[in-house]
Amino acid sequence: MNDSSQDSSRKTAPEDTRRFLEDLERVWANPRGLGALTIVNHTTVGLRFMLTGMAFFLVGGVLAMLIRSQLAFPGQNFMAPEIYNQVVTMHGTVMMFLFAIPILEGLAIYMIPKMIGARDLVCPRLSAFGYWCYLFGGLILLSSLFMEMAPSSGWFMYTPLSSKVYSPGLGSDFWLLGITFVEISALSAGVELVVSILRTRTQGMALHKMPLFAWYILAMAMMIVVGFPPLILGSVLLELERAVGMPFFDVAGGGDPILWQHLFWLFGHPEVYIIFLPGAGIVSTLIPVFAGRPIVGYGWAVFAVITTGFISFGLWVHHMFTVGMPQLAQTFFSAASMLVAVPTGIQIFLWLATLWLGKPRLQVPMLWIFGFLFVFVLGGLTGVMLALVPFNWQVHDTHFVVAHMHYVLVGGMFFPLIGGLYYWLPLFSGRMPSQTLGKWGFWLTFLGFNGTFLIMHWTGLLGMPRRVYTYGADEGWQLFNLISSVSSFLMAMGIAMILVDIMLHFRFGKPARQNPWNADTLEWATSMPPSPYNFVSLPKVETRHPLWEYPQLPRTIAEGRHGLAAAFHGRREIWGTDPLTGKLREVIHIPTNSWWPLFAALALAVVCISLLLRWYPLAGIAVLVAAGFLLRWSWENGAHPRAAPDTREQPGNPPLHSRTLDGPGVWTMAVALLANGAFFLSLLFGWFYLWTISPEWSMPPESPLSLTLLVLAGLASSAGWLWLERCVRRLRRRQGAGLAKGLYMISALGAVQLGLLVWVLVLAELDVTATAHDAVLMVSLVYVMLHTGFGAVLTLLQGLRVGYGYVGVEAPLEPVVVRLLWRYNLGVYWIVVVSLAVLPRMIGGTT
Amino acid sequence: MRARLIRVWSIPAFLAVLLTGCAGNKSILDPAGRAAADVALVWWGMAGFFSLVLIMVVALGLYSFRRRSRPKLSALEEKRLARRFILGGGVLLPVATIGVLLIFGVPAGQRMLPVPLGTPPDVIQVTGHQWWWEVRYPGAEGGEVVTANQLVMPAGEPVDFHVTGADVIHSFWIPRLGGKIDMIPGHINRIRLEADSPGVFGAQCAEFCGTQHAHMQLYVEAMERSDYEAWLAERQAAKLETLAVQSDAHAPAREVFVEYCARCHRVAGLTVPDSQWELAPIQGPDLSDIGARPTLGAGVLAMEEGAIGYWLEHHQQLKPGNRMPAHLALEPPALQAIGDWLETLSP
Repeated sequence: MNDSSQDSSRKTAPEDTRRFLEDLERVWANPRGLGALTIVNHTTVGLRFMLTGMAFFLVGGVLAMLIRSQLAFPGQNFMAPEIYNQVVTMHGTVMMFLFAIPILEGLAIYMIPKMIGARDLVCPRLSAFGYWCYLFGGLILLSSLFMEMAPSSGWFMYTPLSSKVYSPGLGSDFWLLGITFVEISALSAGVELVVSILRTRTQGMALHKMPLFAWYILAMAMMIVVGFPPLILGSVLLELERAVGMPFFDVAGGGDPILWQHLFWLFGHPEVYIIFLPGAGIVSTLIPVFAGRPIVGYGWAVFAVITTGFISFGLWVHHMFTVGMPQLAQTFFSAASMLVAVPTGIQIFLWLATLWLGKPRLQVPMLWIFGFLFVFVLGGLTGVMLALVPFNWQVHDTHFVVAHMHYVLVGGMFFPLIGGLYYWLPLFSGRMPSQTLGKWGFWLTFLGFNGTFLIMHWTGLLGMPRRVYTYGADEGWQLFNLISSVSSFLMAMGIAMILVDIMLHFRFGKPARQNPWNADTLEWATSMPPSPYNFVSLPKVETRHPLWEYPQLPRTIAEGRHGLAAAFHGRREIWGTDPLTGKLREVIHIPTNSWWPLFAALALAVVCISLLLRWYPLAGIAVLVAAGFLLRWSWENGAHPRAAPDTREQPGNPPLHSRTLDGPGVWTMAVALLANGAFFLSLLFGWFYLWTISPEWSMPPESPLSLTLLVLAGLASSAGWLWLERCVRRLRRRQGAGLAKGLYMISALGAVQLGLLVWVLVLAELDVTATAHDAVLMVSLVYVMLHTGFGAVLTLLQGLRVGYGYVGVEAPLEPVVVRLLWRYNLGVYWIVVVSLAVLPRMIGGTT
Repeated sequence: MRARLIRVWSIPAFLAVLLTGCAGNKSILDPAGRAAADVALVWWGMAGFFSLVLIMVVALGLYSFRRRSRPKLSALEEKRLARRFILGGGVLLPVATIGVLLIFGVPAGQRMLPVPLGTPPDVIQVTGHQWWWEVRYPGAEGGEVVTANQLVMPAGEPVDFHVTGADVIHSFWIPRLGGKIDMIPGHINRIRLEADSPGVFGAQCAEFCGTQHAHMQLYVEAMERSDYEAWLAERQAAKLETLAVQSDAHAPAREVFVEYCARCHRVAGLTVPDSQWELAPIQGPDLSDIGARPTLGAGVLAMEEGAIGYWLEHHQQLKPGNRMPAHLALEPPALQAIGDWLETLSP
């Protein structure tokens, strides 16, 4: 770390500094009024995510109160059974999908650039788009509750209960479409956070020097990227079954309801850790600060985070121990599930060691960390119990599981979150929270929570199943339910008190001084509240504890004594650095405020609503409109004048990212394709699962797909890919002649492939409502065709952009991004051909 | 009528619950079979040990705030202490716990696995419907016996349950005998349970199955082998058939039944025109021995005189959303007459 010494030579005169600050303010300004809808800045978007998440949390909380009111006494008729089932389903759905994940994403979106010393996330428009998708999807889902047609088959939507036959209303459709819409937001945040953390850390911040919180968020974001696609696939398939009658999960048509459970929990278990990891990240951030010493075992923590991420993808079956699986598989998943206690235990004990070796101060944020320690450890221990198969057979689907799950989720996520909120409040508002109200809020919540859920373990052991709308007085459950209900209202009071405290503090809180908790991380080097650009200048940071080692850093940053202290060119700029070493690689100029994210999300909302209402022509039009908006959005990139008013490089700075061949766009595409690959692998899993396990699977003796045509189409695609590789190689050698023509031809080859695939589809005469086999074939072909079409369109646009001069030898990045898509498409295509057309011919079908 | 629905809230029962704590006819901790007893034992072991772990972790955390005198440690000593925390608490403790748990825990489930035995156990087939239980005894001497919402099994010997779902996924669970197993359409799952001695046990669907998931109770009774066989013998088709048609007084009720109810409900011995069967919308419980069943509506009402008639009149209030139509065309006296006749179907 040689922050000021390195740049102090570049001392600027006061009037220069003033002009520079004016430039910076202008370039990064957030418009007011209607224009505020165009804001893409991560600070604003992060706050929007968090506030919206809080609002949904209150909705979920009210639903919880309704549940506890109904169950307070046996045989109550407070709510009709159907309404109760809607309330239970929506409570879980809202808390999981509309509160827990988005609010943590919001926190990460807000915090990550500040912690890694960047001015913004790397794809700001994607953040805004994600927010709008979340808001609209959430509102669509929530509206169902007010129309009394909310989903009612439980938040994991087990089919056949959620199928058209047993849930004929629109409830399941609201869930499937709304949640998928919301998940677009999770995925976009996931992709963006991964790339931002890997590629935009400030100069010198090597991977092993970044704050632990960034490691946790990196793991969370990677898990979102890989973990959400299975559920998106499941939702698409189930919605297709409901709307069109494709029998993916219907035994009579050769499907299997258990496939849904696999897809759901392939997502659902990682999701638990997606929620827990950011919480643990908050704990790992707060404990060193309040213990006044660096965390013990940074390397161990990183190891634990990564291991948790990997193990969490191998545990999903422990939600399905009672579906009747081979014992060997059960024992394997049982042991794997228990094994996750190791990385968790490592984290807990390194936190304890940090406290033990430090001089901990007990302030309000730490109270919550203590609450976390008790609640989460208890939840983790009951989790180990649940991983034991015979015990699981007893308590599965009882209130014991309800209690366990709340201990893990509320303990692992809510307690750290509130602790983190208190901790970062001075950053949000520039003011300190009160001590008294905060303490009352904590104790009421803590006691209320344990009163509600500790006793619920017992209720479950006494045999009370979950999701029953009532129970008999002779069961012996009434006392425990009453205690749970009364305590839950205590907890509600505690939460109300916290909200009041937070609201009051904006008005009455004492103004906070710089770095009020004496923290070590860079977010406290911003102004309070932070400006949209976070840092006037970007420091070089080579330590894990910049503010402890260089307490003058906030001042020197504000004085513009570090990097990128110029904005007269009108660009929003951040550093692009090496993913491992943090060495400076390029200057990334990121897009500014834009209407396109909002418009695209609005068009998708129209798609969602028209699918709900079965207005398919409108849905089709809206899809095209949304695609148009998204492509229009992508048009303002590279050397487009609106993306970069002035594309000249500044002397002394590294090149602009659009002039390199490995800019963040390549990384974004790669991570997005990783998500896409997870979706595709889930589809492939579905195909092989149904083929081998589904009880009434039937497959025609002769594959209906024409192998000749498929191979011809594959050859067209391969030729296009080779040609594109050649174009990129030439670009690398700065040879741009004939680039546009080449791109048009490649696009044409994509079109040829698409045409051949349409022909295959027509010849196949698939009967998609009769058998799951034909239905899977159809979905796979459509998947491939969409990708082929997408690749062709993007390549065509590249050709046009070359013509406009937005892409070329001077700005060669975009063809590299498109090449990545072609590589992916080609790989997926041949896998599809082998799995769907070749293997069935080799192994042979059955009828 | 509320008293019929749920037994009176009684202070003595309340106290009894407090005193006995673990008792209850669905309590995992009040086992009545070997498999459940194994699991209960495992639970107490885990609960005890894990409570210690929890107390230790919280105490360590709290004590770190209280420690007044902190020995000044060198960097090396700090590192060593930290490693002791992490390796001891984070690696050794969980790995040892998991090891012990798997060694003792996994065998606890062995009894519930339907592995082949010297003398094959009796098989009882249970099918979950929205929201009732169909129970079949395919091995009964003299032919298969079919009943609903009531399960009778021999005590003191293992019984294999073959379960499936007719519509959605349900879950078969007799907490005091052992673990649960899901009833999945298109799949047949097997679980082996054993009751130590004769007794009555509670059971309830354990997988959320829709509107009336809460009212899908199964009355389970374990009997001595001889009683069990006698019980099955009483339900042989030939006996039930005569039972249904023996009294002329109920002939009008039978006619109404054939017209309105027989589309979904079978009663052994009633001849139903084919046209009626073709209309059958869904399958309802077989009623051939309904008079002898302990409950109505899968546990909603206790069976007593006049209960069936009352149920027929009010079932949509007692169990809202259940699949039986309200049959508004039938006046209360007609429903009561059907109920009176059905009550006689007690072998």
